[in-house]
Amino acid sequence: MEMDLDVDVTMDGDVGIIRLSGELDAYTSGHFREVMINTIEKGCKHLVVSLANVEYIDSSGLGALVGGLKRVSERNGRLVLVGARPQVRKVFEITGLERVFPIYRTESEAAESLK
Amino acid sequence: MAKIEKTKELDVSIPEEFALRDEVRFLKSEDVKLFRLLRESMNRIEPAYVATYPPSECGIATFTRDVVTSVAKYMPFSKPIVVAVRREHEIEPYERIVRFQIYKEQRESYLEAARFLNNSHADIVSVQHEYGIYGGPDGEYILDFLEALEKPVVATLHTVLQNPSPNQKRIVQEIVRLCDVSIVMVRVGRKILLDVYGVDSQKVTVIPHGVPNVHRVSAARVKRALGMADNSIISTFGLINRGKGIEYVIQAMPKIIKKHPNAVYLVLGETHPGVRKYEGEAYRNMLTELVARLGVEKHVRFNNRFLSLDELVRYLCATDVYVTPYLNKDQITSGTLAYALGCGKAIVSTPYLYAEEVLADGRGLLVDFASPDSIADAIIRILDDPDLKESLEAAAYRYGRRAAWFNVAVDYLGLFHRVLNRRRLAKELAESAQSASK
Repeated sequence: MEMDLDVDVTMDGDVGIIRLSGELDAYTSGHFREVMINTIEKGCKHLVVSLANVEYIDSSGLGALVGGLKRVSERNGRLVLVGARPQVRKVFEITGLERVFPIYRTESEAAESLK
Repeated sequence: MAKIEKTKELDVSIPEEFALRDEVRFLKSEDVKLFRLLRESMNRIEPAYVATYPPSECGIATFTRDVVTSVAKYMPFSKPIVVAVRREHEIEPYERIVRFQIYKEQRESYLEAARFLNNSHADIVSVQHEYGIYGGPDGEYILDFLEALEKPVVATLHTVLQNPSPNQKRIVQEIVRLCDVSIVMVRVGRKILLDVYGVDSQKVTVIPHGVPNVHRVSAARVKRALGMADNSIISTFGLINRGKGIEYVIQAMPKIIKKHPNAVYLVLGETHPGVRKYEGEAYRNMLTELVARLGVEKHVRFNNRFLSLDELVRYLCATDVYVTPYLNKDQITSGTLAYALGCGKAIVSTPYLYAEEVLADGRGLLVDFASPDSIADAIIRILDDPDLKESLEAAAYRYGRRAAWFNVAVDYLGLFHRVLNRRRLAKELAESAQSASK
């Protein structure tokens, strides 16, 4: 199978910034989970996940985000999102998960919220 | 006649999802605080569905299960209900989600189902409509159910005839009137509803037919696993009946084989159970006789059984050209064509209404109805031209991604929300008007 998700990670102090590009679904969310776990284990307390280039997200993508939230919560950290496209934002609105994951317009706004 | 052997296991199956619902289940024991936060924050809709349901072997039953499971994945705190329509003499070992059964030919059963749902926790009802799945003349008993139902309701219309009989027309008009919103799967279906049936345009919306979430895979690898590495594979799948026009593809095979001697046509699927009841395997026997008469036994293979989704996906992934040679111009839905789009296949089809719309803009090639020559020319054109094949596949795949079940489920949920909000608002307005008049 082709892997239809690119993942880029940078670390800024105790904040891990994970930029996703492609589709976050049943095929790719396992890889995303591993990346979140590795980033947390490297010492990041908080996670910023950029969805700006994510075309589609399904319930396994949402499950992965909830799993990430659980792990950062164990370290009193937070997980926030950046820049969801309309189709992706609609998923958060319809499920009500927008009330669980704050969605910021830019990475700097998201990082600022974690200070 | 060659038969297809059971395929070796191959890594093209759709991955097991660890979805939101699974994650939430674990949280209940592992992180109660987060579990409660999710339970308090997440939207909750309690849908009920009325239709045929597996293990009944019919396209609507499969469709219903796909909608039910796809929507449920986004609503981990909801408990969906299915009301299944069945024939009285059939014993169906339904899953637990089926909480009530309508006996197709018992009129009283429809009223009982409405009473059951009126007293249930469901807050919206989704009905699948196709004339044949309900009892009475043209399936009109479904109107009794809708008249008696007191909950918000949406209907998905799987058949919208351009030339309905007066009774067929009345039934669809009544369904649209009695439902909050009716769904069709292509724009042309909506146009027919407005032009022919004269229904309120505000009450009709378009949500595409869902397709399995399949990422593109190299056909060569799947062909190797099927022992067909050197073959050009043409395929058609689904429940077989006379309207499928499969004989015209078989008649096209001699011309195709001349140009592509390794071409094989796979006919995947059993005879439609409803058809088998009144004519047995007469159509399939006619097809096998035709194959023998044309001397193409090595180039046409039948797989006479209901295929699992994974098996279907495997065959579709191995396919070079997918064909729907259907004969009914009025057909406004085809689950099999939707699946082929989802798998990113080069598609050849007759121009029935659904195919005409979804294969527009370079997503497939249309051929004449009942025309072996036209079918052969289109298939040869694709097999001769790898660039054309790739371009058709890429365009089909792009369309199929938007129609993946996980996206279609969001469309259904969005519609459920809109209907419930509208009802809520109307109720509030009525109440405030009532209190103002006191």
